[in-house]
Amino acid sequence: MHAFDEIKALRKDISKTIGCFPLYPPLELFHSMGFTPFVFWDLRHFINSFNTADKHLQAYACSVSRRLVEFICSTPDDIIDALFMYNACDTLRNLPEIINCCLQEKVNKPRIFKMHIPMAPEEQTKTTDYLSGRITALIRELEESFGVSFSPERFRQSIALYRKMRLLNEKLEKMVAQNIISYNLFSLITRKGLFAKIENHIEEMESIAANHSSSPKNKHDVPTASVIISGILPPPPSLIDALENYEIRIVGNDIATQRRSYAYTPGDTGDPCLYYRDFYHHHFPCPTLLYKSDQRLAAIKNLIYNTRARGFIFIGEKFCEYEYFEIPYLEKKLREMGVFTLHLEISVDDESGANYMTRLEAFAELLKS
Amino acid sequence: MRLSKIMQNDYLRLHQKAEKGAFVVWIAIVVPAELFSGFENVVYAVPESHAAMSAGKGVGPLQCEKAENNGYSPDLCSYARIDLGTSFDGGKDSPTFGLPKPHLLISDNNNCSLLVKWFDVYHREWGIPHFILDVPFCYETQKEEDLRYILSQYQDIIKIIESMSGQRFDYYRFIEAVQNSHEALFHWKRFLSAAAHKPSGITVFDSFVQMAPFLTSRGTKELAEHYRLLADETLENVSRGIFPVPDEKYRLLWDNIAPWHQLNKMSARLAELNANIIAASYTYCMGSVEGEIDLYNYDGADPLRYLARTQNFSVCPHGLELRFQSMKKAIASMGIDGIIFASNRSCKVYSLMQMDLLKRATDSLGVPAVMIDIDHADARKYTEENVFLRVEALLELIDAKRNALARAHHKEG
Repeated sequence: MHAFDEIKALRKDISKTIGCFPLYPPLELFHSMGFTPFVFWDLRHFINSFNTADKHLQAYACSVSRRLVEFICSTPDDIIDALFMYNACDTLRNLPEIINCCLQEKVNKPRIFKMHIPMAPEEQTKTTDYLSGRITALIRELEESFGVSFSPERFRQSIALYRKMRLLNEKLEKMVAQNIISYNLFSLITRKGLFAKIENHIEEMESIAANHSSSPKNKHDVPTASVIISGILPPPPSLIDALENYEIRIVGNDIATQRRSYAYTPGDTGDPCLYYRDFYHHHFPCPTLLYKSDQRLAAIKNLIYNTRARGFIFIGEKFCEYEYFEIPYLEKKLREMGVFTLHLEISVDDESGANYMTRLEAFAELLKS
Repeated sequence: MRLSKIMQNDYLRLHQKAEKGAFVVWIAIVVPAELFSGFENVVYAVPESHAAMSAGKGVGPLQCEKAENNGYSPDLCSYARIDLGTSFDGGKDSPTFGLPKPHLLISDNNNCSLLVKWFDVYHREWGIPHFILDVPFCYETQKEEDLRYILSQYQDIIKIIESMSGQRFDYYRFIEAVQNSHEALFHWKRFLSAAAHKPSGITVFDSFVQMAPFLTSRGTKELAEHYRLLADETLENVSRGIFPVPDEKYRLLWDNIAPWHQLNKMSARLAELNANIIAASYTYCMGSVEGEIDLYNYDGADPLRYLARTQNFSVCPHGLELRFQSMKKAIASMGIDGIIFASNRSCKVYSLMQMDLLKRATDSLGVPAVMIDIDHADARKYTEENVFLRVEALLELIDAKRNALARAHHKEG
């Protein structure tokens, strides 16, 4: 089902929707204030032409931003009440005003909320007060714009739901590593979660976990061709199929919509300022969170240690410089550890996988050798 | 001549002082270097400026290839690739013998947040501390809370340098540096004002190259004096009727970073067409705040606050609306006939709103505009003929507009 249809179908039961980008917005806060938040990411499956986006963005913008503009601008009226974005990269920070230009003709334009999340490391600069100020201002703006109100109790309830969702994601990820469910299914579920009501998403994940609860095959057996995949987007289905064909098992991931998003949930509190300080401070390292850079290698090493992966595949999204500045260093360090690495580049012009099949096959041979 | 001497001296002094044990800081282009003047023996280098110079001297692609051979994607900013290539090769082929190795890296994320990733490479490879100056993007006039946040980070920079270098920050030396910079910017604006004359007293290529000492000599008396002399000489030339494009027929505005590898060629070819790019958003932003082109005045009361208020002086930290406002002012005050939007693959932050800016400029201001493809420092990504095909089309558009206006006047008459 197209994301629009999913949102439309939900719209009957929900009063307010907010579309967020990029990946680590304050979802619990929006949910607690009566919004159904969606995360506008991983839009490859819905957007394959760029008729509107190409009028606003040059072709050397990454596919994420081009799809995002196309997606938002082709969203039917009245299904998105608000948009939220925070600072992540140089491309995305230009988007709110570009989107505003795209939506000029629309009668019911969503209100756009923006927030600066501090990118200075805590040990360098005290960012707590600044972040608290931004969270407080966001709450005030939402209250004023939509007549909603913040409640610590509801916020606690939302935290509990999102924690449950993240834990379920971890559970399913383990089931992929144990070969109980396919990575394709897991990837589908995480993508659906971006456009679903949190309650429905939890229900679906619980059902999958229950339906595939049989004992893992070869529980303690780590396959020789085991890999971790990394990138701002999950690999396209053709690549996942190829991995399966070559009997390469994905035993862990460093994908932005997956592990990087669900790896950490702060403790229970009714104070959103405290919560998001903890949330961003302890977030799984992502190249877009500039202050987490020092922890990135350690986090990846930890993943490799925990999964005993033999290989690491960088799924590079063309024009995503944030990832590309880190890849040479990470590749070097992983090779020093004896981990085989492969760097594939995915672009909008070539998502069929034709250009990397041979390399993938050779990599599979290497892993099995 | 004077400019070359200043640049030579700046790089020579940098190397000599570093050799003698000065504390060396590498900074991003908009980090307020006046802060370092508050220390007796702290010097700074600007990798972006060095990369621009390398591109201007024709070694851009060579240094880019060195970075690419080390695994860095050719899609990354060419400044970054030049700098990484130069550093990985120990300064070989650099016009300044590279830069002395730093003790501290200070990047910022307002001008370009990729700078943080770029400096992280050195932070990781060399184990050098990296300070990230975190500056909120300006969609509107800078907010007081953002200014206070920036101020707190300036204090952190001072503290970290004090602790790492063992030197004490001298506030009075710093005040003097800020005054020098402000004076330099005052004269910079006088220099740029020569563009308002018809024909223009300058070309944009003059202003592009004259930006360099602002990056390497910030806070010095020499910088203020250089810009004073530059403005005096330029305005004197205007009063004597000396103009770079005497038969100037087309007055153009440039939007983006300079194509450093093409300055001479582009300038000469435009002059043949009686076209003069007289101004650029890249140069008129210096000394101004968001949405403005006039000098932001420093009243001498609080130098740190002044620096924080002007932290976003360059174009990249500004949203589309603010960029449009300043562009509109530049067009009106300088009598611009057409705009060249230079879509720059190496600078997404500058380029990725140009399509909407172009539309607004043509639709609401009625100014003809074209978009060309450039790369500010990697000549391999530039095609002269494609660019000039578009530029000539722009000149035709300007002619067509003038002819239509003339016909309308004739009819009214």
